[in-house]
Amino acid sequence: MTQNGTTRTATIRVQRFNPDVDAKPTLREYQVQVSPDTTVLDALETIKATQDGSLTYRRSCRHAICGSCAMNVNGKNTLVCNKPLREVLDRKGRATIRPLPYLPIIKDLVVDRSQFWEQYLRVKPWLIPPADVPEAEFRMTPAEVAALRDAEKCIMCGACYSSCQVVALRQAYVGPHALLKMYLRVLDPRDSAPEERLVEIGGDDGVYRCHTIFNCIDACPKELNPTAAIETLRKLAQKRAAFARERAERQQTLAMPAPVAPGAEMPADIEG
Amino acid sequence: MTLTTSEPEIVHDILIVGAGLAGTWAALAASQAGVTNIGVLSKLHPLRSHSGAAQGGIAAALNNVRPVAGTGPRGPLEARPETDDPIDSWELHMFDTIKGSDWLGDQDAIEIMVKEAPEIIYEYEHMGCVFSRVPDGRIAQRRFGGHSAPRASFSADYTGHVLLHTIHEQALRHGVQFYPEWYCLDLIVEDNVCRGLVAMEILSGRLVTMRAKAVLFGTGGYGRAWRITSNATANTGDGVAIAYRAGIPLMDMEFVQFHPTGLYKKGILMSEACRGEGGYLVNGLGERFMEKYAPDKMELAPRDLVSRSEQTEIEEGRGIGDDREGIYLDMTHLGAEKIMKRLPQVRELALNFAGVDIIEGPAPIQPTAHYSMGGIPADADGQVIADAEGTPVLGLFAAGECACISVHGANRLGTNSLLDASLFGRRAGKAMAVFVKNGAPLQPVRGKPAEQSAARLAGFMADAPGEPESVAAIADALKDTMQRNAGVFRTAERLQRALTDIKALQERFARARIQDRSRRFNTDLLAAIETEHLLSFSEVIVVSGLARTESRGAHFRTDFPKRDDDQWLRHTLAHTNGADGPRLSYKPVTIFWDRYPPQERKY
Repeated sequence: MTQNGTTRTATIRVQRFNPDVDAKPTLREYQVQVSPDTTVLDALETIKATQDGSLTYRRSCRHAICGSCAMNVNGKNTLVCNKPLREVLDRKGRATIRPLPYLPIIKDLVVDRSQFWEQYLRVKPWLIPPADVPEAEFRMTPAEVAALRDAEKCIMCGACYSSCQVVALRQAYVGPHALLKMYLRVLDPRDSAPEERLVEIGGDDGVYRCHTIFNCIDACPKELNPTAAIETLRKLAQKRAAFARERAERQQTLAMPAPVAPGAEMPADIEG
Repeated sequence: MTLTTSEPEIVHDILIVGAGLAGTWAALAASQAGVTNIGVLSKLHPLRSHSGAAQGGIAAALNNVRPVAGTGPRGPLEARPETDDPIDSWELHMFDTIKGSDWLGDQDAIEIMVKEAPEIIYEYEHMGCVFSRVPDGRIAQRRFGGHSAPRASFSADYTGHVLLHTIHEQALRHGVQFYPEWYCLDLIVEDNVCRGLVAMEILSGRLVTMRAKAVLFGTGGYGRAWRITSNATANTGDGVAIAYRAGIPLMDMEFVQFHPTGLYKKGILMSEACRGEGGYLVNGLGERFMEKYAPDKMELAPRDLVSRSEQTEIEEGRGIGDDREGIYLDMTHLGAEKIMKRLPQVRELALNFAGVDIIEGPAPIQPTAHYSMGGIPADADGQVIADAEGTPVLGLFAAGECACISVHGANRLGTNSLLDASLFGRRAGKAMAVFVKNGAPLQPVRGKPAEQSAARLAGFMADAPGEPESVAAIADALKDTMQRNAGVFRTAERLQRALTDIKALQERFARARIQDRSRRFNTDLLAAIETEHLLSFSEVIVVSGLARTESRGAHFRTDFPKRDDDQWLRHTLAHTNGADGPRLSYKPVTIFWDRYPPQERKY
């Protein structure tokens, strides 16, 4: 690694593979200039624009919200758009970028997420609202909203799925992303089908398949906790009939003003 | 290599291009109205669409929140007791939007939008959106620039993300068929009738003619024509360029909003909250320069005014950074505690993208191309129109940022974009369903359009005479000239320079070749097509801006610094005209003279 003021040269090793022509994946090396604000994605964009137009990867938003650019950098799944390059360079100024593991490779860093999306579809990710819908909003309490906050942040990037050893061994497992989505639905007071959902994910390839290895937590670029969500779903699955009764009862009052606790505050982020 | 074309073609009742809020709402609404055979193409996976990047909120006069009595309009917010008088109304929302638009917005369309706004928020809520709430369970609302009441429903600072996932899930529930990572190459329009399109399956490189009774474009904005932009890399204005090539005029393309706080050199948006929480804008001399431009509102002045103030400092040599094109956004005086509590995402953004901790030092920022007000002319049902007389292009619809309806006129208010995309997407979906159910036929397609498209793409891989040009280098040069000459400040001289540059780049582009010659997932080819699009509509932006000798909203001409209603209270329509470049015509603005006559736009 050479130093020159604030910029220096880094060596980026990228796994290349086009299944139409290559027998197996190979690593190719590129040199790029790095400044303190260079991200891993910036390095890929520079290589593609100035050295090798055939380098293939997905990206779009550039700030960790669209979920396109999950890859494996130095053995760890991450989004590359908000990952500073300086954080992943070793002492010799090198970093290695590979596609998300365990998934079929389409080309270079682009993986086939079909199975990931099939599992997402399989759990019916959509809300199933009550038959009677009020003219205005359902009255969810701030506490009910807070319980869903983390699960709704999931950007479906696949970093957790592709780090999950259970997925690697058993493709029928629905996976951490789909179970986190189920947590979002099951715990939503507006959802009318918690019992059916808990039956579905209480089966062979659902919540009990998770071995609590915690890889998904380490991999998640949004710092979410699918394992904890799976734990909660396990508990609910064991008392699903009672939970469904509670839900039906809650929905009786869902269109009415929620009781306001004394000293209840406005949401903290209302000014932001 | 040659790209393969495949027959038979794919046929749907309705085809939608773009799977953001506008496209997906259109699909859902048409499906709910009974159309079962709907296809939605997106060059990304639908959940990667740029609608998901919107942070702040979605506007509607719900009246759930008000400032505490006696604390003034910026006072602390409380839930409005349901029995108290409302403080907000669609009329107020309408006035704010018209004023924000600098009176270029069409008031009939704005009226539809603000009246239907509450309904669409409630629909989102019923479909599963997790909005923030006030204690009694109503949807919470925050303030936003240019809105005279707290009107923005929100989910923390990822509102667009939550809306996008919710609507996508519901479209899946209704059996809408998605074509993820399919790229629309050409629109087939003959005799003012849309017959379908040509698309490429990105995975295989296969080109297919797709026919439909109705086609909707919801393809998003065109901010990637500037070097500094908050837009996703996907926002290359594909839809507007494709429509333009098919003979559809483009409307008000000169109007592009520059947000004042994009990260220096990256353009990524730093939330409006940085200024809301009390951040200072400081120039290279350490001066808090907003004193000169807006002594009362200071940093809280409207977006376009702050962007122009920053740009003045930069152009007069008082910028920061190695090219002096930056400004400091200083939040250090807020202290670590407030920053950690109120601006954690902003801090993370600055750390990751600029290597700066805003607790310890100022963040470098600059104005960033943010929102495209112009686009494909359409009415409030999404029906695309071919001219100033309103002649419809039969079977073609548009909604969202690629469309110009025009509800934002010369400048959009924050939180009105999610509303526009959702609401007019839904209206267009309903209108297409009526169109189809009223017996619209599948129109015949002449010739072999997929083969024509394939021949055009083959040009990027053919042997070039002499040294081939680099697509990326041409795109860079275009973004540079747009940044310097068609940005926050424009003059006849600058725009002329941009036009000369664009013409030269278009010529160079004829010799551009790509390196990736494979069929499979060829992103090098996509970049070439996208760059062709940038070169095409950038010319329209510059020509339209050159003709408009006034300053209105986001279009600021330093050589014509005043708004000129006598001459320019009208929409620009740019028609494709072969090698001669765009031919301009004009269309009157719909104004309710008795209710909202033009006034000075003063904050």
